[in-house]
Amino acid sequence: MTPAAALWISIVLGACAQVFLKRGVSPRTGARPTGMNLLFSPWVLAWAGCFVLATLLWLIALSKIEISYAFPLLSLGYPVVAIFSMLFLKERISLVRWVAILVVTAGVAIIWRAS
Amino acid sequence: MAADATMDTQTAVPGLDEKTFARDKISWQAAAFGAIGLAACGHLIIKQGLVSAAHLTASTMGEKLSAYLFHSVLPLGLFIYGIGTLLWIRAVASRNISFLYPLTALNYVVVSIGGKVLFNEAISTGRWIGIAVVVLGVALLQVEVKEGRP
Repeated sequence: MTPAAALWISIVLGACAQVFLKRGVSPRTGARPTGMNLLFSPWVLAWAGCFVLATLLWLIALSKIEISYAFPLLSLGYPVVAIFSMLFLKERISLVRWVAILVVTAGVAIIWRAS
Repeated sequence: MAADATMDTQTAVPGLDEKTFARDKISWQAAAFGAIGLAACGHLIIKQGLVSAAHLTASTMGEKLSAYLFHSVLPLGLFIYGIGTLLWIRAVASRNISFLYPLTALNYVVVSIGGKVLFNEAISTGRWIGIAVVVLGVALLQVEVKEGRP
């Protein structure tokens, strides 16, 4: 795997992790799962798995790609989570929330760019 | 809590959310901002643990590990980070992830300022601008909260 591929897959997997967690803790029907049911829910396990895999790929990417280039790209996680939540969780995102998400993305990119 | 309560937040019905979640032990605000604050504190304490144990004259890998685990605040940092993760799960259960996830950018703000106060780390002008932009974005997210969503 090329370092660039590792970087992009890491960003997408990190976003997947949050969407899986959301799906795991808020089912469409029935009560909110708690305790052991929650711990062994496949969605919650998928969250943990994606998180670990994303971290490993991130470290692989960082070993080859310049930090000043890689870190600002981390901020893309915010719009990617928004797009996935729209597609897979049917979340409705208002215009003002889209603007807010893009502002936060720009802010985090600036923070990393300046570091 | 009511069996159907989690469903309502999926569709973000205006005005309904606050009522359905009023019976929860902690509000989503406490859970979300608590999670972000604890994660940031965890990071800072882990940093303190690594800094404080760095001067110890440990030569072998085992000695180094034991210095970090038993003679520094590193385990406390990990513990607090863990509590933060549990609170995050609680927050995610009751709000849209597209709304909650951008809030986590506040982590950079708290860690930057904490690094300056505790470890004398410099914050460049560019970084201050980024911090201001993040705070603006998080403030924009709150517009919806006033309208009873998300």
